[in-house]
Amino acid sequence: MSALLEAKEVTKIYAKAQHPSLNKVSFSVSKSEFIAIMGASGSGKTTLLNVLSTIDTPTGGSITIDGVNIKNLSDSGAADFRRDKLGFIFQEYLLLDSLTIFENIAVPLTLQKLPPQKIENMIKSLAEVFGIDAQLNKYPNELSGGQRQRASALRAIVKRPSILFADEPTGALDSSSATDLLNTLKESNEELHTTILMVTHDTYAASFADRILIFKDGRIIRELFKQNDDRRTFYDLIAREVAKLDIER
Amino acid sequence: MHNLSMALKNLKTNFTFYALYLLSVSFVITIFFAFTSFSMNTVMLEKISNDGRVETMCNTISVFLMAFVVFYMSYSNRFFLRRRTKELGIYALLGYRKSTILSLLITENLLTCSGAFITGILLGSFFHKGIVFGITKLLDLAVNHSEIPFFNPNAIMKTTCFIFAVVIVLALSNSRFLFRTSLMDLVRYDKSAEKRMKFHAVPSVIGFLAVISGYCLALDILRGEKSLWLTVGFYPVAMLTFALILSGTVLFIASSLPFAVQAGKKNKRKFYTETKIITAPGFIYRIRSNSRTLIMLTLLSAATLTVSSVMALTLYYPIAAVSRMAPSEIECRIEDENEITAIKEIVNAYSSEADVIFLQTDIYKVTSTAEQLPMEYGIGTSKGDADNEKILREAGFECIPYSAYKALLEAQGRTKVLEHLASLNKDECILIKYQPEPDNNEADSVYPLLIGNEEIPVIVTSVTLDNPISFANSIGTLVISDDLYHTIAGQSGPAVKILSINGKSIEDNEALFQALSDYLSGSPYLQGNSHRVHEIFSLSSSTFLLIGFLVVLFFIAAGSILYFNNVSAVTDSKSDYEILWKMGYTDKRIKKIIKKQTAAFFSIPFLFGLADCVFGTLVYKSALMQNILGNSPLLYAPAMAAVMLTFLIYLGYYHITVHACCKAALTK
Repeated sequence: MSALLEAKEVTKIYAKAQHPSLNKVSFSVSKSEFIAIMGASGSGKTTLLNVLSTIDTPTGGSITIDGVNIKNLSDSGAADFRRDKLGFIFQEYLLLDSLTIFENIAVPLTLQKLPPQKIENMIKSLAEVFGIDAQLNKYPNELSGGQRQRASALRAIVKRPSILFADEPTGALDSSSATDLLNTLKESNEELHTTILMVTHDTYAASFADRILIFKDGRIIRELFKQNDDRRTFYDLIAREVAKLDIER
Repeated sequence: MHNLSMALKNLKTNFTFYALYLLSVSFVITIFFAFTSFSMNTVMLEKISNDGRVETMCNTISVFLMAFVVFYMSYSNRFFLRRRTKELGIYALLGYRKSTILSLLITENLLTCSGAFITGILLGSFFHKGIVFGITKLLDLAVNHSEIPFFNPNAIMKTTCFIFAVVIVLALSNSRFLFRTSLMDLVRYDKSAEKRMKFHAVPSVIGFLAVISGYCLALDILRGEKSLWLTVGFYPVAMLTFALILSGTVLFIASSLPFAVQAGKKNKRKFYTETKIITAPGFIYRIRSNSRTLIMLTLLSAATLTVSSVMALTLYYPIAAVSRMAPSEIECRIEDENEITAIKEIVNAYSSEADVIFLQTDIYKVTSTAEQLPMEYGIGTSKGDADNEKILREAGFECIPYSAYKALLEAQGRTKVLEHLASLNKDECILIKYQPEPDNNEADSVYPLLIGNEEIPVIVTSVTLDNPISFANSIGTLVISDDLYHTIAGQSGPAVKILSINGKSIEDNEALFQALSDYLSGSPYLQGNSHRVHEIFSLSSSTFLLIGFLVVLFFIAAGSILYFNNVSAVTDSKSDYEILWKMGYTDKRIKKIIKKQTAAFFSIPFLFGLADCVFGTLVYKSALMQNILGNSPLLYAPAMAAVMLTFLIYLGYYHITVHACCKAALTK
C-alpha cells in the first residue's frame, strides 16, 4: 500500500522548553489507514497532530502528505492545503455558533467552490448516515454533545479529505455518544476509505484503529497492529501496553 | 488576598484590557471637564455673551453632556463587566462571597476612574485652553489669557462630584447584576447570552413601510403650497414624519434587516460563497443581542449628521444671503445733499486708495393699477410682514433706471450678471424679486404704471434675484428704461436717494462702517456687506461652537461604541476565526470577513443617519429657512461638506476598529 503521509525525523522544540516536544519522529501512514496516537499528557501527541496538519511548524525533519512537502508551504499555500486535503475533529467540537449545523457543514464545501446543489445533496446524504439529518437546521447550542461531535465529524468528512485528524474526539462525550462517533468514524474509514489519524488517551477509542503509535517524551516508543484480531482482543493488547507504560513511568 | 492588592494585581496583569476602559473614560471626562471649565469661564462668557444666551445654552448642553457621560460610562462598565463575568463566576466558585467580589469590582472601578479622572482633568484643561484660544482668534477678541486659570477649581469640584456620583451609580448597577445573577449563569454567561432569533414578516414589512412613508412625507414638502406640510400644518406633519421614521428605524433594524438577510440566504448561488456563508448568519447572530445598541447608534448618528448638516447650512446661508441683503460694500439713504460730501470725507479718511466708487441712485415710487401684482409690490407695508417694523414702506414699484442698474452691478463686481443682461425698450422692465416663487412666474406680465395722470404699461421681460440695492432701501424694485425713468422723474414726487459705495480698499473695514453709523446716528438704512458678514459671525459663532461641542461628543460616542462593540464581538468569537483558519481560510480571507462584518455595523448607523440627515435638512431648508437665494445645489455644499467630514470620521473609526479586530482575531 502506498504511503499517504511520510514523517521523517520530525522535531519540534519550543523556545523555553528544556526537552524537545517531538524528538526525531518518523513514521508513515498508508491510504485508508486508521491510526491512533496514544500517550500520557505532555508526551507530544497533540504537538505531532498540529505539526502534521500545518497548524504548527516543525523545527526539523520533513513531512510529506499526498506527495506535498508541507514544510515548504507558504501561509496561503498551507491554508489551501488544509482546505483541499485535510479534515479536523476536535474535542471541543469547534462548530461555529452563529451558523446552523447545515451551514457549518457547508463551509468547507463552499470553500472548495462546489455548486450549491451539489453541496446540499452531499450534506443531506451524509447527514442520514451520521444520524443528524433532523438537526441540520438547528444551531450548535441546541444540540447534545454527541450530536455536535457527529456534526463536527461530518463537516470534516464531507469534503472527502486525504487525511482526517481527530484530536481527542471522544474526550467530552459520554460512553454511548463516544461509541456512536467511533462507529461513524470506522464506517467512514471502511466505506469512504477516509484515512484517519486520531489522538486519544482512551484505550476504548484506540481499539477502533488499525494501528497504534504510543508516544513518550516526544518519541514513538511502541507500535501495535490490530492485524486480524477482533476489537476486543486488540483492546486487551492496548490496555496491557498502556498499563506497562504506567508502571514504567 | 486583600481586595486592594488583588485589584491592583488584576489591573497590572490585564493592563491592555483596563487601558481600553481607562482610555474611554478619560475621553469623556476630558470633554466634560473642558466644557465645564468653559461654561464657568467668566472672562470668556463676558466677552461672547451680552444677554445670557450663551449661559442658557451652556446649561442646556450641560444636561445633554451629563446624560451622555452617564450613558457612556454605564455602557463601558457593562461592556467590561460582561467580558469579566466568567472570571467573576470562578471567584464565586472558589468561595468568594458576592459582597467581596462586588467590593473588588468597586475598588477596580475606583482605581480606573481615578486614573481616568486625573488624565481627564489634565487633558481637559489643555482642551479648554485650546477652545479659548480658538474663539479669541476666530472672533478677534481681546482677552487677557493670564486671567483664565489653567485649572478651574469650581470646574474640578463639579467634575469630581459628578464623576463620584456616576461611580456610585455604576457600583449600584454592578451589585444589582451580581446579586441577581446565579452562580451557574455567571460561569456560563457567554453561552446563555444568545437566543435563537425569530423572523416575523409583519413587523419587517411595517418597519420598511414606515421608513419609506416617513421619507415620502418629508419629500412632500417640495410640493410647495400643495404639500401636506402647508395644508395640514407643519407641526402635526413633522411629528408624524418623526414618529414614522423613528418607529420605522427601530422595526427596520430589529426585524426587517435580519429578515432580509435571512431571506437572502435562499439565493444559494450568492450565499454559498466563502465570505457570505460566514457573514450573513454572523450578522443575524450578532443583531440578536445588538439590535438595541445598533438602534441607539443609528439615532445618535442621525442626530449627529442632521445637527452638523443643519448647523453648516444655518451658518452658510445667511452669509451667502448677504450678497442680496447688502449687495454694496456700504449703502445708505441720503436725506440731504450735504451728507454726500460728509460721507465722502469720512470714507477718504479711512481709505487712501482711489478705487472707491460712489454711486447715487434716485428711486421713484410708482403705483400700478394691475389686478395681479407681484408679492413684492405690497411687502413690508404693514406690521407682520416687514423685517423691520420701524421702517414700514408704502406699496408700489420702486423704479430705477437701466443705466444705474448696470453701473451698480459693475461697481459691485457682478460681471456674470452683466454678461447676461439684455437692454430694455421703453415699455419693458426687469422685476427684482425678494424671493423666488416657482409657482408664480411674473415674466411677460404687464403692469400699467400710474405716472401723473397717465397710465403707461410696461411688460416684464425678465425676473431676477440680482438686486443692486439692499432690501432695507428698496423692495419691489423695477428696472425700467432710462427714457421711461426720465418721464417718471419729470412727473413724480421726490425720489429716495441711495448712495452706494464700493471698492476693494474699503472691504472689511469695521472702523469705517462704525464712523458712518455714528455720523448717520445709527440709521437703519445704513447697510454694509462686510459688516453684515462680521455681524453674523459674531452673533452665531458662540452658538455654533457649543453645538459643535455636542456634535463632537456624538461623534466620539458613536465611534467609540461601534469600536467597543465590534472589538468585543470579534474577541468573543476568536475561536470561530481559529476554526475558519484550520478549515483552510487564509489570514487574508479572514480579514475580508472581519472587514465585511465590521462594515455592516458601521454602515447601518451611517447610511440610516445619512438618509435621515438628507430628509431632515431638506425639511429644515424648505420650511424653516427664508428662501431668498433660490434652490441652487451650491447652497447645500456646506451640508455636503459636513456629511463628507462625518463620513471621513466614520471611515477613520472603521479602519481603527478593523485593525483592532484583525489583531484580536489573528493573534495566535
